[in-house]
Amino acid sequence: MDEFQEILQDFLVESFELIEQLDQDLVELESRPDDLDLLNRIFRVAHTIKGASSFLNFDVLTHLTHHMENLLNMARHGDLVIDADVMDVILESIDLMKALLVRIRDSGEDSGLEVNPCVIRLDAVANGTSLGETVPAPAAPSTPTPEPKVAVATSEEEPDYSGMSDEEVEAEIERLIAVRQAEDAAKRANSAKSTTPSAEEEPDYSGMSDEEVEAEIERLIAVRQAEDAAKRSNKAQEPESVKPSVAAAPVAVTPPAAPKSEPAPVAKAAPAPKKVEAKDDGENRGGSAVEQTIRVDVKRLDHLMNLIGELVLGKNRLIKINDDVEERYEGEAFLEELNQVVSIVSLVTTDLQIAVMKTRMLPIGKVFNKFPRMIRDLSRELNKKIELEITGEETELDKSIVEEIGDPLVHIIRNSCDHGIETPETRLAAGKEEGGTIQLKAYHEGNHIVIQIIDDGKGLDADMLKSKSIEKNIITEKEADTMSEKEAFGLIFRPGFSTAAQVTSVSGRGVGMDVVKTNIEKLNGMIDIDSEVGKGTSMKLKIPLTLAIIQALLVGVQEEYYAIPLASVLETVRISKDEIYTVESRSVMRLRDEVLSLVHIGDIFEVERVFDNSEHAYVVVLGLAESKIGLIVDSLVGQEEIVIKSLGEYLKGIEGIAGATIRGDGGVTLIVDVAALMQMAKSVKSTVGQESAEAKSRGGAKNSASDYCVMIVDDSKTDRTIMRKALEPLGITLVEATDGVEALNILKQGDHNFDGMLVDIEMPRMDGYTLAAEIKKYNKYKNLALIAVTSRTGKADRMRGVESGMVEYITKPYSPEYLMNVVKRNIKFNEGL
Amino acid sequence: MSEKLQQIINKQNKALSGDDVKIDEVIQLVGFIVGDEEFSVPILSIQEIIKPISWTRVPQTPEYILGVFNLRGSVIPLIDLRSRFGLETQKHTEETRFIVMKNGDDVAGFVIDRLTEAIRLPKKDVGPAPDTINEEESMIDGVGKQADRIITILKVGKLLERNF
Repeated sequence: MDEFQEILQDFLVESFELIEQLDQDLVELESRPDDLDLLNRIFRVAHTIKGASSFLNFDVLTHLTHHMENLLNMARHGDLVIDADVMDVILESIDLMKALLVRIRDSGEDSGLEVNPCVIRLDAVANGTSLGETVPAPAAPSTPTPEPKVAVATSEEEPDYSGMSDEEVEAEIERLIAVRQAEDAAKRANSAKSTTPSAEEEPDYSGMSDEEVEAEIERLIAVRQAEDAAKRSNKAQEPESVKPSVAAAPVAVTPPAAPKSEPAPVAKAAPAPKKVEAKDDGENRGGSAVEQTIRVDVKRLDHLMNLIGELVLGKNRLIKINDDVEERYEGEAFLEELNQVVSIVSLVTTDLQIAVMKTRMLPIGKVFNKFPRMIRDLSRELNKKIELEITGEETELDKSIVEEIGDPLVHIIRNSCDHGIETPETRLAAGKEEGGTIQLKAYHEGNHIVIQIIDDGKGLDADMLKSKSIEKNIITEKEADTMSEKEAFGLIFRPGFSTAAQVTSVSGRGVGMDVVKTNIEKLNGMIDIDSEVGKGTSMKLKIPLTLAIIQALLVGVQEEYYAIPLASVLETVRISKDEIYTVESRSVMRLRDEVLSLVHIGDIFEVERVFDNSEHAYVVVLGLAESKIGLIVDSLVGQEEIVIKSLGEYLKGIEGIAGATIRGDGGVTLIVDVAALMQMAKSVKSTVGQESAEAKSRGGAKNSASDYCVMIVDDSKTDRTIMRKALEPLGITLVEATDGVEALNILKQGDHNFDGMLVDIEMPRMDGYTLAAEIKKYNKYKNLALIAVTSRTGKADRMRGVESGMVEYITKPYSPEYLMNVVKRNIKFNEGL
Repeated sequence: MSEKLQQIINKQNKALSGDDVKIDEVIQLVGFIVGDEEFSVPILSIQEIIKPISWTRVPQTPEYILGVFNLRGSVIPLIDLRSRFGLETQKHTEETRFIVMKNGDDVAGFVIDRLTEAIRLPKKDVGPAPDTINEEESMIDGVGKQADRIITILKVGKLLERNF
């Protein structure tokens, strides 16, 4: 049964691919009804699906496609003129076919959909317009039953298997294989001349035993593979393209096409289809450059992408380690070599990442293809004249994004048709052309793909949008007053918003644009609307090219770091605290001609803010879909390539966090979910203005000498004791640590609030310079006085000390008084206590 | 040939079933201290035990979730068992360990005060959890008695279940 499933999968994949092309072709066909190429292509789809579905016992589908095939065949022979009415029936039947295929994909069977009315219409069109024709007339009645048995029996030369015993059947198979092999050999010898008249005879499956079915399956696979190959070669040689799979109507096989009908029969008997394909390539393509493709399960690509993700993390780590090593062993010969290796690894990793990303890329045309048909249907339905212009359909983007982008585009285009483009009368009255145009553009812009939907319709009226929103209680009048034009355009994305006076089948429910916004946000994309009343509307979707590995801006708040997807970062600005205004308990700032609402990242993520006296703040301006917000952070760390990892089942769905990534130093950094953050920002209490006051009160709480706290870091017990003895008279709290690692741990535990630290330079595990550098990474230790106490007296050592953040440099030996004074000065010891 | 093979298979089967009997009789646990009490979890539910490493706080979570840490490329939640059990939190010491437990696909690290030992306990010495505890809510799977001490056996599935 597995084999059957596999075939079914193949069948579905192939059918959906065929159908995708079909829509486009059909719409084109309406404007060029006598284009034989197009007709043939369409016919072939119906035919292929019919053939395969009859084999898979999908009777309903077979029944339908058979009649479609009939009709199309007539058109192909010029017995039927395709006009709008005929087209409607054909389109209807194709929709039905799609529905059936979807049903098959979902439930594995094709029952439950009524096809008969459509079949009757198909037949009616076929008969009604082809009076006096001899060819189609007998064809239609002779094969009305859905049973493949009957449909096939007429042209079959195969014996009736149902009456045979197993042995006989075996023998028969053997015989047939032998015959076919002989045929095959003959044909190969005969080179490109086809001898078998019919490539598509369908035996009676219902009467077959399992083995026979299996053999049949093999044969059909071979046939299909050969067809694929033929199709590919057809693409290269557009004219006389369709003949090979048209073989069911032997009359149609004209001499020039003869060589091409060959692959099918060959494949039929070939035990190794691959070989046939190769041979076929050589013959049919005649050396023309045809794209070599291979179908790969998406799961494998996903897996590959995950592995690359790990590699990128490894690379980031390697770079970080390289930097550290460089610092420590400056000027050593092996550094050069290490540098080279690291840069090669990082270069190759980047290339590899791009290469794998490219394998996942699909042209956006895959999504665009369905729109011509949609526009056609909509314009008929709405009685408007709408023209669709597509450019940039070859622009590629990640498969997962292609899948997500379809729905939003459908909604936007429907919206443009329904609300944007006016009726022909209105357009004429307004001095425009009768027919409206919708342009669909796709192009790359840096690491983004931009999809633009431009209509020349009536445009958005900001005032009208506002009043509608007030009417529907989406915004208050006060909000409306302060809204800019752009913000007003953004109202169309609010759930429940609709400008349509009544709900039509096309739009008016107020759901569509909300879907657009949600989906685009999911992709970390942005929406930009531009509109002018009477001229039209332009909607710009800006979407990152890929999702798995992203560029992020790393920001710091206190000692925590967060990664913000760079796709959502519009700009970063450094402002002074006076530039922050409070309006109705919300913090805002003026950014050029806009008012930007602000939120502190610490308020969103409940970061305990200990210390922040700086005059300046960094604001990361975030944009998502159509909204903007300013996020205040303590520091900007830089841009890094990050790989999104999930937080796992236990922690999933944490508001504001999209996932985590592993940084170069092996630590975990959380990734900000910009969409959720914007939501949270609305309800967060602002503390932007208050923090400095708070910080001040914290800093000044020294009531007795023991409130001062100094750490002594030295690996020598003697040295520690000397220092302790020197400082004890002050009455301050003293804590000892034996090396840098221990000192750092004590500091991080936060049991004491240290004012100063006496640091030896030469220590095991972590030396004084490294310790100082580590400590200075943390914002909250900014005011901690680091005093080096060392026997190293070189100027270079002093320089290094200053560089790593030491404020004083005491050389051993020293007098206790000197030490005491230096400490007193640096911790601002209050003698009065 | 096939006879020989059959014999070997038979022998292996016998050996296996022999083991089964033993495993059935004894359960293997890893004991650890949280607060003043000794707890244990089945040895097979433990992925590994590591010394404390740095972790990253995750906002909007209950207090007992310390955050997430990096275990060789996987991001894993870290849960403080002291605070999970409603005890005072305590600074990590030299003996503090992270026990990484798994149950199916669920993995999390748990901070414990110190490890005690691996315990082999005959099944007959394991009693049910005290009646007073609601069966559904309880994190306790049973109580093991060994010589002069009582060991609480925890339900790993319950520990790994998100309850916020």
